[in-house]
Amino acid sequence: MLDLDKDMPQQGWSRRDLAKFIAGAGLFATLPAGGPALAQGAKSANLAMIGEPQTLDPMASTADLVSGIMMHVYESLYTWDSDLNPKPMLAADMPKVSANGLGYEIEIRKGVKLHSGRDLDVEDVIASLRRWMDMTPRGKAVAASVDKMEARGSHGLAISLKAPVPALLTHMALPSGYAAIMAKESIATPLVSFVGTGPYKFQERRPDQFVILTKFDGYSARSEPANGYAGKREAKITELRFIPVPNPNTRVEGVVAGQYHFAEQLPVDSYKRIASTASIKPLLVMPYGFPYFVLNTKQGPFADKKIRQAYQLALNSTEMMLAAFGDERFFKATAAHFPKASPFNSEAGGAAYNKGDGAAAKKLLAEAKYDGSVIRILNSKQFEFHHRMALVMAENLKEAGFKVQLDVVDWATLVQRRADTNLYDVYVTHSSFLPEPMLSPPQLGVGAPGGWETPAKTAALAAFNAESDPVKRGALWAKVQEVVYDEVPYIRVGDFAALSATSARMTGLVPMPSPAFWNVDLA
Amino acid sequence: MFAAIARRLAGMLAVMFIVATMVFFLTRLAPGDPASLMLGDQATAADIAELRKTYGLDQPVVVQYLLWLKEIASGNLGQSIFLQRPVLQAIGERAEPTFFLALFSILIASLIGIPCGIVSAVWRGQKADQAVSGLAMLAASIPSFWLGLLFIQFFAVRLGWFPVAGYGDPGAGLAQRLYHLILPATVLGIVNSALITRFTRASMLDVLSEDYVRTARAKGLPENRIVLRHALGNALVPIITVVGLTAALLVGGAIITETVFGLPGIGNLVVSAVLRRDYPVIQGALIVIAGIYVVINFTIDVIYTLVDPRVKT
Repeated sequence: MLDLDKDMPQQGWSRRDLAKFIAGAGLFATLPAGGPALAQGAKSANLAMIGEPQTLDPMASTADLVSGIMMHVYESLYTWDSDLNPKPMLAADMPKVSANGLGYEIEIRKGVKLHSGRDLDVEDVIASLRRWMDMTPRGKAVAASVDKMEARGSHGLAISLKAPVPALLTHMALPSGYAAIMAKESIATPLVSFVGTGPYKFQERRPDQFVILTKFDGYSARSEPANGYAGKREAKITELRFIPVPNPNTRVEGVVAGQYHFAEQLPVDSYKRIASTASIKPLLVMPYGFPYFVLNTKQGPFADKKIRQAYQLALNSTEMMLAAFGDERFFKATAAHFPKASPFNSEAGGAAYNKGDGAAAKKLLAEAKYDGSVIRILNSKQFEFHHRMALVMAENLKEAGFKVQLDVVDWATLVQRRADTNLYDVYVTHSSFLPEPMLSPPQLGVGAPGGWETPAKTAALAAFNAESDPVKRGALWAKVQEVVYDEVPYIRVGDFAALSATSARMTGLVPMPSPAFWNVDLA
Repeated sequence: MFAAIARRLAGMLAVMFIVATMVFFLTRLAPGDPASLMLGDQATAADIAELRKTYGLDQPVVVQYLLWLKEIASGNLGQSIFLQRPVLQAIGERAEPTFFLALFSILIASLIGIPCGIVSAVWRGQKADQAVSGLAMLAASIPSFWLGLLFIQFFAVRLGWFPVAGYGDPGAGLAQRLYHLILPATVLGIVNSALITRFTRASMLDVLSEDYVRTARAKGLPENRIVLRHALGNALVPIITVVGLTAALLVGGAIITETVFGLPGIGNLVVSAVLRRDYPVIQGALIVIAGIYVVINFTIDVIYTLVDPRVKT
């Protein structure tokens, strides 16, 4: 009987035949090694973003990705300087506010061109603000206090309030779900044309490939020096290409290889590589955001304030931030909810922060007669740092005598479950850093997940929200912060930074929460 | 013949209906709500309820299902909640890179897998077989994202031969766009070649032990002719099956590779839609992908009859 295994090589193909066969197959498999050159104009910037914006309508989404692109197209009446204070942008100056804080008179800059070529006037502003108040969660919150908006001539706007809104300008300056001013004739839902006043105008969008903005030659710049988002804006790069690159490692490799001039939100472990590559440079924005844990104060073990206080005592924020962000350059464990430069900076109530004291927590649990109910920690691996913090949190809690259960779900599930207090005891989330307390976290408002509604909260926030004077508001915020540390509706774990990288050729990029590419140049 | 084809077509329609029904109810069974995700954490319950009403998500699931069936029967796959455009348009915009990526990958996988499988079978148990089998095992075991990142690091960053990611600059011609597919297609080709190698080897081993091969050898036919014509020709049916099914899988979107290489393909679209619970896109894309599977399966069956007349449609 023929033994194919043994006999074939001798009877049939020689080694030479084998070599010929492989070479032939290899020839077919060989693809052209070269390719067309990657043509690119000297003044086009490739900007690697974390994903595809779900929409280009800045009022249809609160996603930073949307506003990060469209803030180049649409401007607002006010914007932030580098300390995140509101400064005029399309408004000529800061508003005249009546003594009772209920009347705002805003003069709009004259001679500002829309991308359609027409001059901006107060009708555009009113139509845009109405849309903002109809569509966006923050706009709706403001609208509840607005009595009327009226034109005063062609460039004057009068806003009458039913109740003081001390953070009105901050709301208008916030670049997220923002009060973008657009040409009134372009207003539609959904938006089909994007006609603003910004230094860049919309050119083209190809989903999952790019959004292209081009320099607006008719741009009317302010005369003050640039400061954060405020002051003079100049489009020095002709074309901005916002490219979705969801994989963070690909963003790193792309900026290292020179394919991208900017890449945002990079993994912190890529810092060394970025810092040691001559052709690129790292860019850190601190604070960029803060992780926080929302406790279910409605039902379950955390309905008991003492058990929440024990939970707070058990947590070691530094350990959690270290697990989440790996290196102290990228986070700060601090009791203050606002940084030093902010009028709201305060350590009030902070004695309870970052104790990591399992023994003291255990004692408090005994006092509260904790019955050993399982604490369900709802978290998502979709944000890896959430999950890492949840793991450390679970260990901290076990040490203090809590029984814990990690409920790991995808983000969409978490967002749905957090609305139902039957389904969790604490959940992990995060927010961008915002300069005004009432903007985030939502637990400071009404009806947010966690169900925190107490007389102490209501009293502290009522006093805070009724005050317009910035200095007095700072002191009143300290009282709110004290209540937060005492009643533990949420734990603000600390601040974290965002790591981005730019080409060494790119100059003028200022570290701000969303990178702005006006006043930025490519050498 | 025509009656058989008609039967197959009816079967295809039945499969599509079952797929559509399963896709619809499975997406609704998964927890998560697109309205809550879209509006963010500042939204009130009333805002969320209003948006749910806008997209008809407040209706009973059965009503939603019937309305959706009516729409797809008229060729309308619906409107994406997040992308604010028709689902068919969203799929169409991403079809080109996915199609070419699948095509090139399957070509590369076949050009590697079939010769390697033949070599492995012909030299069964010898060093060549061991080497090929080892490499095939390695290719099957390598995660595509890891190989992708390795290729990016070496060929794009270090050597600068290829772009790191993307599908060409604005205004790029077809050649430039396809140039962007070389690295991802090679990665997918290598990973998928393993299965084709194994199937080719197994199929060739079956055929090489047949009497007619022995007869051909006894007649003194050259070995090349025996292997490439008589043996390979008869071993093709299972190889075509695996190549076809791999192609179908790739047309459905090589999700991980598309993500690593930042390709605007259908895989990326489906993943984003699942994460956002964009029901119309999930449903629409899965129906299209299922349709492609069904058509490819049908085509494979037709090809069977061409390569082996004993097989009837």
